[in-house]
Amino acid sequence: MKKITLIDIIIFILFLTISILSFTLYTNVSGKPEVHITSGDKEFVYDLSVDTMATFEGPIGNTSVEILNNKVHIHSSDCKNQICVLSGWIDKPGQWLSCLPNDVFVLIKGKQDDSQGEEIDDFSF
Amino acid sequence: MISHSKIRIDLVALFAACALFLSTIEYMIPKPIPFLRLGIANIPLIIALGVFNNREYFLLLLLKVLGQALISGTIFSYIILFSLAGSLSSAIFMLITYKLFKEKVSRVGISLSGAFASTISQLIISRIILFEEATYVIAPLFLFSGLISSIILGIFANEFIQKSIWYKNLKERHV
Repeated sequence: MKKITLIDIIIFILFLTISILSFTLYTNVSGKPEVHITSGDKEFVYDLSVDTMATFEGPIGNTSVEILNNKVHIHSSDCKNQICVLSGWIDKPGQWLSCLPNDVFVLIKGKQDDSQGEEIDDFSF
Repeated sequence: MISHSKIRIDLVALFAACALFLSTIEYMIPKPIPFLRLGIANIPLIIALGVFNNREYFLLLLLKVLGQALISGTIFSYIILFSLAGSLSSAIFMLITYKLFKEKVSRVGISLSGAFASTISQLIISRIILFEEATYVIAPLFLFSGLISSIILGIFANEFIQKSIWYKNLKERHV
């Protein structure tokens, strides 16, 4: 009686197109990647190319975020399920890690390059 | 098609009970990320199109949202805002799609349009109250998961409508 119709396919294609377009929200960010870490109300910004180990205090305990060789991961966390630690490493703009129980959110953002000159300096270096 | 505006409360209650049962099942399924759900509780809403009139349909919707909030204990938290916005917008979208295309659209299309409306409205709310700037990061994930789960639900609803003798009798008796 009821088969997949043309209208179904049109709705599907519309939905799919918007889903794919939503990826461009962050894939076109270029430049030097920054690590934005939100803990509670505060936001911290780190350079992805500088190795760091930072600890944030949340409602449950401490969450340690490590930046090493241009990659970020959650080194340890006092949360129960450890999903954030198991998420592993991220290294591209748009990728994120999160420890929901301890209210820590890690996001790599591509820094908008304001001047073209700096960009070239980065490459020649 | 459905002209009488009297609310058939027993029928609405049956569908609402079904939605609550399915959402209870849903809470038992472990989720990789909170908020990422299959949405099986929406099956009664997809199937109910064409059986209920508008007033009955929105009553069913309200019962589903309140019932889910009671079961999950989120009735007095911000989560009910997400649930309400998602359910309301998807119901409106599904009704419009159904009224617009009638027999030209199957339940897959209806389910897809509902999921789309629900995802978009929840992303907007999330942008306002929860994640703010970070919302754009989760948007693709939510859109794709909504796309896939709504196709599964739509196919199920299609099959159900085709095969169920109960549903056939219901339509003959009430419409």
